[in-house]
Amino acid sequence: MSILQVRDLKTHFFTQDGVVRAVDGVSFEVGLGETVAVVGESGCGKSVTALSILRLIPKETGRIVGGEILFNGRDLTKLSEEEMRSIRGHEISMIFQEPMTSLNPVLTIGTQIAENVVRHKGVSWEEARRRAKEMLELVRIADPERRLDEYPHQLSGGMRQRVMIAIALSCDPKILIADEPTTALDVTIQAQILDLMIELKKKINAAIIMITHDLGVVAETAQRVIVMYAGRKVEEAPIEDLFDNPMHPYTRGLMAAIPRLDIEAEVGGRRTRLHEIPGMVPVLTKPIPGCAFAPRCAFATDRCRTQAPPYVESTPGHVAACWEVDRVREMAA
Amino acid sequence: MNPQNSDAPSLEVENLVKHFPIFGGLLRRQVGSVKAVDGVTLSVRRGETLGIVGESGCGKSTLGKMVLKLIEPTSGTIRLAGVDITHLSPREMWPHRRRIQTVFQDPYSSMNPRLTAGSIVGEPLENFGIARGSEKEERVAQLFQRVGLRPENMRKYAHEFSGGQRQRLGIAKALAVNPDVIVADEPVSALDVSVQAQVLNLLIDLQEEHKLAYLFISHDLAVMRHISHRIAVMYLGRVVELADKRRLFTMPLHPYTEALLAAAPLPNPKKKRERLIIQGDVPSPAKPPSGCHFHPRCPFAIPACREVVPTLQEVSPGHHVACIRRPPESEPVPLTKTI
Repeated sequence: MSILQVRDLKTHFFTQDGVVRAVDGVSFEVGLGETVAVVGESGCGKSVTALSILRLIPKETGRIVGGEILFNGRDLTKLSEEEMRSIRGHEISMIFQEPMTSLNPVLTIGTQIAENVVRHKGVSWEEARRRAKEMLELVRIADPERRLDEYPHQLSGGMRQRVMIAIALSCDPKILIADEPTTALDVTIQAQILDLMIELKKKINAAIIMITHDLGVVAETAQRVIVMYAGRKVEEAPIEDLFDNPMHPYTRGLMAAIPRLDIEAEVGGRRTRLHEIPGMVPVLTKPIPGCAFAPRCAFATDRCRTQAPPYVESTPGHVAACWEVDRVREMAA
Repeated sequence: MNPQNSDAPSLEVENLVKHFPIFGGLLRRQVGSVKAVDGVTLSVRRGETLGIVGESGCGKSTLGKMVLKLIEPTSGTIRLAGVDITHLSPREMWPHRRRIQTVFQDPYSSMNPRLTAGSIVGEPLENFGIARGSEKEERVAQLFQRVGLRPENMRKYAHEFSGGQRQRLGIAKALAVNPDVIVADEPVSALDVSVQAQVLNLLIDLQEEHKLAYLFISHDLAVMRHISHRIAVMYLGRVVELADKRRLFTMPLHPYTEALLAAAPLPNPKKKRERLIIQGDVPSPAKPPSGCHFHPRCPFAIPACREVVPTLQEVSPGHHVACIRRPPESEPVPLTKTI
């Protein structure tokens, strides 16, 4: 059963250079207790998708212009700001890339966790502080009693991210959105945080939407993946299918472009070349009638450039938006 | 000054140390020091990439800055093609300056926003008296072409370029004066994967064409595996392991190297590995642990690790490790946990 259904979401920004179609008709579902990764490069719309779900798009510049976001049957795009506030941090919560900019520097850790609990659960501050301590234990911060009274600057980057997770989970959310939660961390700390998230996942049974640019993080955490390009979903698949058998030329290009830690990078004593995706991401201010990837795609035909590609399902749950899936598959075989 | 020696490595550092003073107390006296780089010895040959890998605060960027003479080392020696440049004044450094260039993580911040891209790349040509006038223009156009930028773009300003193009511009600028050594500090970290691949390929091609020596600083092990010939792993100011790439990735001997390799997430859902996750944070370089800096986080530490400062020992040809549990010529067997 799905807890979140995003249907034909369109989030646009109105700038001096024109309308930026940051998210341009994206649909997907998230099941109860499932981890879905949204992966793509800068400007593909992955973060805007996340912010749209929480209705955190800055009003001055952007707006959800179409589609619906159904959470437990309610369309989030139709809710009032007041109603949204009771959902944020409660039923749907989010952790960001840079914990230092999301934590309040002048409030103690304890206050910041308890604040959320008092607000949404209506309990006393005393009760909320007990909950805060429990949460710090849950995210495995040593000596939680002492940490409650410390300020964010007294913690290391990894600990701050643990605190963010503690706040996000403090009111038992149904959905946790994590936007590049480990990108700013050192690799040994990243491993600790990813491990913590995987472990907590089993305990809390919330659905997780993992926004990331890192295919390694995708492989380690998610059950299903959505690949985005230029504001659109180009491929969606169960995790193993995507890595075994990527269908969309963009996904294939992306996978061939990453340097691999687990594969010998030399052939006959010479360093191998990485696959390059020629060209650049398209400008999002101009409407793209066909496939957004067509100008960079080796398989593109005139049809690709003029008509939006259909979603083709190859195996159950594995879809790609591509006119030329058959040719791509032949090439791969 | 020693004469230039063509057999000497393009770049050598010996026992390089950088301590930053910490001032404190009422009288702002020096109360301690951050040992950012604490006795590093390395060399890079012509046409070779030496990768420096490590986490925040390990001293890898400070090392790069010292080599570029952007900051003064506390002690130790830096040699460019056999010539000691450690204590040269900026004026004395001038003839050697051309030989060592840099590529930054964020090239944009190092570019004058009021200059056209063509002048940014052409400036060093004029400064070093290599070319001027139409000859300079021609050379700049060639450089543009070589790094994959259209020569028409010479009239554009830096802000009109994308991140990947700016990095190409930064590479063209570094290349302009025909250097021998390029210090590249996280040159692809800010780039998207598809652009990163383009820039890495370009760096490899240019290195092979010009026999450049790269000191390549990065936190990304996969990038390192791709571009480096040899890799030095740093932890809190010290090199803990140095080996050729293949050895380092297939037979890491220092527990920290092992932990780093195990920590990086792999883009392969079938390889859910038994992770060696080391606990705790990197300690502050202002208060590094005694003995082996890694001992508080090391699952294999023995009591002696707290006391003894391990030195870098060659355990097999070209493979150096600083760990007292890895004596020279020992078999590379897995270490056992101590209780």
